[in-house]
Amino acid sequence: MKAKRRAVTASSRVAEQKYPTSPKRPSGTGRGNSTGATIRPSSGRADPPMPVRAGAVDLSVQLGRGLVLPNPILVASGTFGYGIEYGEVVDVDRLGGICCKGTTLKARVGNPTPRVTETPAGMLNSIGLQNPGVDAVIARYAETWATWIVPVLVNVAGESVRDYVEVARRLDGVPGVAGIELNISCPNVGAGGLQFAIDAGAAAEVTAAVRRATDLPLLVKLSPNVADIRPIARAIADAGADALTAINTLSGIAIAPGRGRPLLGNIYGGLSGPAVKPVALRVVYEAAQSVTIPVIAIGGVMELADVLDFLAVGAVAVQVGTAIFADPTLPVRLVDELAAECGRRGLTSYRPLIGTALPKKPAQPSSKGVEYRP
Amino acid sequence: MRLAAAELVESREILPGQWLQAYHAPDVASGSRAGQFIHVRPGDFSGMILRRPFSLNTADSATGIITIHFRVIGRGTEWFTRLRQGDKIDLLGPLGRPFEVDPRSRHLLLVAGGLGIAGVRMLVDEAIRDGRQVTLLFGAASAREVYPSNLLPDEVEYIVATDDGSLGHHGYVTDLVIEYEAWADQAFACGPAPMLAATARLATGRRERLGVAKLGRKRGAGKVDPVGSPAARRKAFLQVSMEQNMGCAVGACLGCVVMSTSGVPQRVCREGPVFAAEEIAWENAW
Repeated sequence: MKAKRRAVTASSRVAEQKYPTSPKRPSGTGRGNSTGATIRPSSGRADPPMPVRAGAVDLSVQLGRGLVLPNPILVASGTFGYGIEYGEVVDVDRLGGICCKGTTLKARVGNPTPRVTETPAGMLNSIGLQNPGVDAVIARYAETWATWIVPVLVNVAGESVRDYVEVARRLDGVPGVAGIELNISCPNVGAGGLQFAIDAGAAAEVTAAVRRATDLPLLVKLSPNVADIRPIARAIADAGADALTAINTLSGIAIAPGRGRPLLGNIYGGLSGPAVKPVALRVVYEAAQSVTIPVIAIGGVMELADVLDFLAVGAVAVQVGTAIFADPTLPVRLVDELAAECGRRGLTSYRPLIGTALPKKPAQPSSKGVEYRP
Repeated sequence: MRLAAAELVESREILPGQWLQAYHAPDVASGSRAGQFIHVRPGDFSGMILRRPFSLNTADSATGIITIHFRVIGRGTEWFTRLRQGDKIDLLGPLGRPFEVDPRSRHLLLVAGGLGIAGVRMLVDEAIRDGRQVTLLFGAASAREVYPSNLLPDEVEYIVATDDGSLGHHGYVTDLVIEYEAWADQAFACGPAPMLAATARLATGRRERLGVAKLGRKRGAGKVDPVGSPAARRKAFLQVSMEQNMGCAVGACLGCVVMSTSGVPQRVCREGPVFAAEEIAWENAW
């Protein structure tokens, strides 16, 4: 039973369209600058744009395999639970998508406390993937998800390729599950505990294995804790991922004030929040140039300007994470603000905003040195 | 749970570094119970991105005034002290589950350690309103950190212990618990984790030790309430209000957990902050 996915299916061929280059605009918009293949908002300045009604702006995002998000504002895994926690404070059906809490094959109790702490312009967390296991997640939440318009992507984590495959297999065909987001920033226990995400071969292996196990749309979440993201992004795309999400948290440590010892129970935590935004922009910028599949950006989105920045470096959608803790209504408000912004610029779709900061020729990779170039 | 703006009505430093602030938040004041908390966003967005949880210290539904009591420990709490009358804060609440008082309990023993008073203060009001007798045992490091008695209702019996003996009993507040153990029908505690663990240790096996009869036809007989349910907590002798670093405060991030005896970490913000003492794995299971 795949009712949910069928319901949002437009055509499976949309997967082959490359995002930034072919913005499909409905006929009859009547703007002089709408004839070019790529419409850059800055290029139309000579002819001031006619405002478009915000409700008429096309915000839908096609991610491949028939997965169509109603808008490009998602909520990031781990910050929105299973979608039900915020209750009446957030209208989930106005969101573009929900990435649920990381889910593993077996239940996990997670890391010792303290698990979270605030850091300058960010936070560190080391939850340790506490979750009730994939079967319990399906039993408890899938029925609710199936009643929602918003697509729910289940974030999947594991310790071995077999774990990932088994979780994906169990999620396959469950009504209410619109797709899978692979969290590959987990140690591969079978291969000496090295993270899948830091090795192109391991990342491709797990992606390909999950790809064979399920027909669900498959997103793979990149880790920023690598020297060069481009070969990894390319390997994952070649292995059959439908989209990339970037970035996962940056590894960090906090010291307990006045005690001179690590604050978090797990010592290491993942840094998120506005502090990581420049890193996320760089990773998305490099990934978007390396692959033809869509890239979804995460990392410090706090306001509309951040969304526009991520679209400019080539993301087709963004996930809001840590900012939800401060302002739970932010994602829904960003949807309205993005539509209003498109309307103000005279755009009938948000797609012309994508990739405006990308160079015509592939840019120098950041791994070649930032401050000093030979 | 709802998002609301609340206006600062009064703010003063009641003890060195400890502040009592009153806000006008009618929805929260009328819809909350003792033990619940609010999650407040500091208005300085330059570097602080998390909300701050505060226990509801008092809530008056008639005037719509809630109060919070906090110690200045960092930039966030320091920002709150600079608020002036009429300034607005953005709060999410009421959150968490409240203290469950058995309707038949006549004598309530409240145990507070330091700032833990903020966690049980509202229960004092509720219990006195319901005509119960309340004894509040309060422990602090020294006399200068003792909660002022004029901020408590007259009806409450207020007993102080200080670590350095500068006021009241010389020693820990838990030393006093034994004297009231037989008198109290139920006990409620909030404070540092070692204090709560010690109080829980004292409370274990109380019924057998004191030979307390199972009163009433329904009490504990026949029906077994699921662990953690309001009914099960109502039957517990000791309920504790736990503290933990918090992220979302609605149960989404799983940041603020405490280990339970069942082996599944429980969220302080959702299943708590009030737990029955026997739900908590005091000897940490991690």
